[in-house]
Amino acid sequence: MDTIRLQQVLPRVFQKQPALHSEVWMQDMCFEKGRTYLVEAASGTGKSTLCSYLLGYRRDYTGAIFFDQADISAMNIAAWVQVRQRTISHLFQELRLFPELTAYENVAIKNELTHSKTRDEIGIWFERLGISDKWDAKIGLMSFGQQQRVALMRALVQPFDFILADEPISHLDEHNSRIMGDIMTEEAQRQGAGIIITSIGKHMNLNYDKVLKL
Amino acid sequence: MNLVWKLLRRHISLPQFAGFFFANLFGMLVVLLGVQFYVDVAPVFSEKDSFINDDYLVVSKRITTVGTLSGRSNTFSPDEIEQIQVQAFCKSVGAFTSSKYKVSAAMGMQGAPAFTSEMFFESVPDEYVDMQTDAWHWTPGDDVVPVIMPRTYIALYNFGFAQSRGLPKVSDGLASMIDMIVYINAEGRHDKFKGRILGFSSRLNTILVPQSFMDWSNSHYEPGKTDEPSRLIMRVYNPTDERIAQFMQKYGYEVEDNKLDAGRATYFLKVVVGLVMLVGLLISALSFYILMLSIYLLVQKNTTKLENLLLIGYRPSQVARPYQLLTLSMNLAVLLIALLGVWCIRSYYMNIIQAIFPQMQVRGMLPAATIGAGLFCIVSCLNVWAIRHKILSIWYRKE
Repeated sequence: MDTIRLQQVLPRVFQKQPALHSEVWMQDMCFEKGRTYLVEAASGTGKSTLCSYLLGYRRDYTGAIFFDQADISAMNIAAWVQVRQRTISHLFQELRLFPELTAYENVAIKNELTHSKTRDEIGIWFERLGISDKWDAKIGLMSFGQQQRVALMRALVQPFDFILADEPISHLDEHNSRIMGDIMTEEAQRQGAGIIITSIGKHMNLNYDKVLKL
Repeated sequence: MNLVWKLLRRHISLPQFAGFFFANLFGMLVVLLGVQFYVDVAPVFSEKDSFINDDYLVVSKRITTVGTLSGRSNTFSPDEIEQIQVQAFCKSVGAFTSSKYKVSAAMGMQGAPAFTSEMFFESVPDEYVDMQTDAWHWTPGDDVVPVIMPRTYIALYNFGFAQSRGLPKVSDGLASMIDMIVYINAEGRHDKFKGRILGFSSRLNTILVPQSFMDWSNSHYEPGKTDEPSRLIMRVYNPTDERIAQFMQKYGYEVEDNKLDAGRATYFLKVVVGLVMLVGLLISALSFYILMLSIYLLVQKNTTKLENLLLIGYRPSQVARPYQLLTLSMNLAVLLIALLGVWCIRSYYMNIIQAIFPQMQVRGMLPAATIGAGLFCIVSCLNVWAIRHKILSIWYRKE
């Protein structure tokens, strides 16, 4: 997939808002593969909503969204499963990790589906992110910042054309967010993928091709 | 799949599943036992008579007190026979001929005499007896007479004599093992014949010999004596024809029909087994309901996990599978244990049935297995469908 195109898209909840100044909503705009985007917004302006549309788990919008030429409202379950496994990787704002599983298992449960990384490769990430001692720790016992790093790894153990990171570094210090940014960029470049990052202020220091106000 | 199972098995409630398991096991056992018992026992009531066809009826005049006192005849005159012959329901009619001389017979087993008794013979035209002609045949000079006995005799022998004297019990197939010696006494003549029992009939309460033997013996031992028949054998187009009953009622005739009793008994058996099975099905349905509630509750408690699995790219069928396999394996275990239970109980009651009806054909457990497999398939399909439906509702975020 090379482009994600939004055509006059508006979440239904915003329909009654009279003055909407957005570079995304109610616009004709396009995310291209291989480029890096930052979507900045105040909270409550629909960052996570946008992500949920692109991942196919919410459909409450007007207008149309296209993956290349295909209108996503016509996609069936099998097609969405393919998108989630192979095309769009999503780092959830609320992480959506499994507290009953260990840090490694949380990554492995996705990797079992895609078989895209070896255990050793995942081990190297754990070390770079400074949580190799948490390999066997239950997610429920880790800090939110540590969980964010596990969630990033889980997002990266799959092939993708776009990675969608919803406030990925909200609980991380400068040092760790830089490492995270590095790993994410490396992986995206290796795959030639586009990066879309949302932020309410604090954001990764990347070379953004475009910054959009939501 | 292991990690998925590790996640999804959380919140599985053992007491709930045990409740389902035993309730379903009990329901299944009752249903299967009902089916199997019916199949095993029904032949006792609906046993086919191999000698006299179903469309043959035996007709006699009703014997009443007044008739006996007034000396009214119980025999059929040629006119009366003619009148029956012309009825629309009647294909053909034949008369019973009875022996006019004294007969006694000694019966025994393996050379040991069991009992001797006064007897009488009757015959019907050979075309009314369904038997290979060479077996049901007698020519003057033969000293072996083929005989068909009433089935009550076999019970008399099996339970009256064999039991108390340690003799082997006989079934239809072993009828020829019974030794029978026939003594005929008439006008100072004493003759001895060997009787060969070809089988037992539950529809004719008489001792039947071939017509040729009867004709010969009557004219040989009691020449010149003729009687009108007291019983007729009638071949009809349809034994359930209402006109038969109306006609018989009108002229005071009686149809010997033990089929009717058997029909009633089978009917009651059907009703009882049907009720029992209904209760079993009800229990099964309730247990199915318990299972569905447990699964729904389980899915409900694990909704977040299921949703997250779907969001990271798991197919709905993949996350539904652990629960589907769980219910399938439980249903299968229930089926197998229920069949085992039926097998145990059946081997107990079949011993009793076979002691009472040794000639009965034993069928296998195929009926119970078939019904069980059918129930298993229906319940499992419903389970699989319901779980998939539930998972899809999470996919579409209908919760």
